Amino acid sequence: MAEPQQVYLSLIDEIRSAVEAEAGPRSLLDRAAGLLAGRIGCPVREAYAHLLRIAEEQGREPGTLAADVLGVLEPGARPGDERRVRSALDAALRSRPRPPDRVAEPSTGEVPVQVVQTVLDALPGGHSWVVPVRDAAGEVVDYLTEAASPEARDTADRRGVHLIGMRLADSYPSLVGGPLWQAYGQVLADGSPREVQPLTYERAREGIPAEAVYSVRVHRLGQGLLVSWTRHDPQARQAERIAQTERLGNLGWGEWDLVTGQTAWSEQLYRIYERDPAEGPLPGSESNAMILPEDEPLRLEAGERFANGETLDVTLRVRVGDRIKHLRTVADAVRDASGRTLKVYGIVQDVTARETARARLAEVERELREHRQSLAAEHRLAAQLQQIILPIPEHPIDLPGLRVAVRYLPAERASRVGGDWYHAASTADGQVLLAVGDVAGHGLQAATTMAQLRHALSALTVTTTTDPAALLAHLNRLLCASTAVASTGTAIVARFDPATRSLTWAQAGHPPPLRTRAGQTVQLPRPRGPLLGADPTAVYETADLTLELGDLILLYTDGLVEHRQRTLQEGLAPVIATLDEISLADTVQPLAALLPRLRRSNPDDDTCIVAARPLPDAEADPPGGPHVRR
Amino acid sequence: MTPVSIDSRADGVLAVILRGEIDYTNAAPVTQTVADAVEKARPTAVRVDLTEVTFLDSSGIGVLITGMKAARDIQADYRVIGASAKVLDQLRITGLAELFPVDQAGPPAAAG
Repeated sequence: MAEPQQVYLSLIDEIRSAVEAEAGPRSLLDRAAGLLAGRIGCPVREAYAHLLRIAEEQGREPGTLAADVLGVLEPGARPGDERRVRSALDAALRSRPRPPDRVAEPSTGEVPVQVVQTVLDALPGGHSWVVPVRDAAGEVVDYLTEAASPEARDTADRRGVHLIGMRLADSYPSLVGGPLWQAYGQVLADGSPREVQPLTYERAREGIPAEAVYSVRVHRLGQGLLVSWTRHDPQARQAERIAQTERLGNLGWGEWDLVTGQTAWSEQLYRIYERDPAEGPLPGSESNAMILPEDEPLRLEAGERFANGETLDVTLRVRVGDRIKHLRTVADAVRDASGRTLKVYGIVQDVTARETARARLAEVERELREHRQSLAAEHRLAAQLQQIILPIPEHPIDLPGLRVAVRYLPAERASRVGGDWYHAASTADGQVLLAVGDVAGHGLQAATTMAQLRHALSALTVTTTTDPAALLAHLNRLLCASTAVASTGTAIVARFDPATRSLTWAQAGHPPPLRTRAGQTVQLPRPRGPLLGADPTAVYETADLTLELGDLILLYTDGLVEHRQRTLQEGLAPVIATLDEISLADTVQPLAALLPRLRRSNPDDDTCIVAARPLPDAEADPPGGPHVRR
Repeated sequence: MTPVSIDSRADGVLAVILRGEIDYTNAAPVTQTVADAVEKARPTAVRVDLTEVTFLDSSGIGVLITGMKAARDIQADYRVIGASAKVLDQLRITGLAELFPVDQAGPPAAAG
């Protein structure tokens, strides 16, 4: 089972390699965006947005503009060109219409504060621009904040414009001379960006010490420093993106006999504590010592309630090896007539995966929000995002007991690229999970919601459940809790058990799957479940059926059948006819024959189709088998 | 023909009349109009009349969901009336018909 962080990192790699794989004129744009991002200290995707918006405003081809930007930003540019670089950068960034008196005069070699503020106004996240304050001898004695992004916020909860005019040494004296202070000086001196993390900042607020942990990136920009702050505080980490991810595996039990002093641990408990069973259970004092000191009050309180006869149920952070695990302990006791504890039974669950999955979801969402930029960039990004997030396998793929083919028909116009998605993968317990979904709307908003749902589904199947109805309930809560403009979507999730060929499925406001058997195609009767994102209390039910060899199952989004002038049944008729025909033709490669014949009914909408057929046991080729019958 | 008009009636009912094709091209302003009207009028009941609607896409469905949420926020009754057979089909498939009452349009008047 992959760690959620690894999954996330590999997603980032995927994006990076997809961007790198772009050939032709696009690569100019990629390089320009990369350089611009490095220069202004923003994610590459935002740099894209900047470039595309500027190109549109200037009525130029993005490629031409990119070539210009490269000409001035490429590392090969001579050091003497510093001023040219700055003025070109200023011109590129000075793209919002402003009153003439605020127009920058870049020939001074300095970046005007208005330009910086304009850029920061458009950036998500916390960024500030500080300039050094020097004494008579020219030594830097302090840093003055001259511009700040709207989301910038300090430990005293001052935000945005309220940070402007603050001096570092006055406001945050504990930072003077520390790692951040040193990084500022180094970046000023040599111009190469630096990252300081973790930066722990302690400050007593109303007598209560508060601690905040940041990672900080520092880039030189003009005569000052662009400082980007990311705060890692517990509230943000645990942001309630999924209201409840219950049911967790990974649980061990132990037994403590207080009369005989004997202790017994289950194998899994040793695994959770990463301890060799030959060493025997950990003495209580040692396992308590592994608990993070911050959680000690929690443990004491729970222990006190337990001593008073209550059941113990507490989640504590425990240092095991070099990792912090979140362990939930539920314990009960056998007591004698006087209430004295004789024996304790306990269950320990490792809930770390749930905690990190939550953090990962929040992180993915944050990443995706950053995509929201100008309209000109939106369509392009949406198409890109869809290609990156939703790679479509060219050939049918073999999963346990099931051959699956996927077809994606994009909307005819790029601006109509939407939020259709699919999922087809085996689960840890050897079953197969299939899904298709359709997010309402089009463009970047839909594509980001699509990505959010798809990655949430992957994470949930690993950490939480493979039950189709429970998965939909989680996705529904995720969309309902989303702070973005109302997003809704429909989806089908199905789980196939290769041992019994049974298919359990649930749906959220989605057209029912089609099942073809011996030349007859039927729409499966739908279990209950409204679309995602409308009602946080919505209930999803499952339906079951058993597939036979020769059956075809088709999951699809409504672009396949929806049409302005026809009813859904009319739209479905040609699809059913095609399925019947393929089924009767008894071809050896029904999936390969089927997909090219399915045409979307609505050119305004994209369409995603997942077709599957059960495999006889012998037909399941080993992974990477050289000769595969489709 | 405007795609939406609002009639705040004296009996506390807010009538929202949608017309023509409600789709991605016009759903955003229509959604805004409906949400603003419900919030401003604070009616006891919201009736969305689809009699003149010829087509709803997923963004058009979003208008109905936004209306439902806005009505729920102020504890107003919410009902959709005049749905054509096709729209009714869509509301059933999306499961919205479980979340609020939907009245079907009467049979079309004798062909003229």
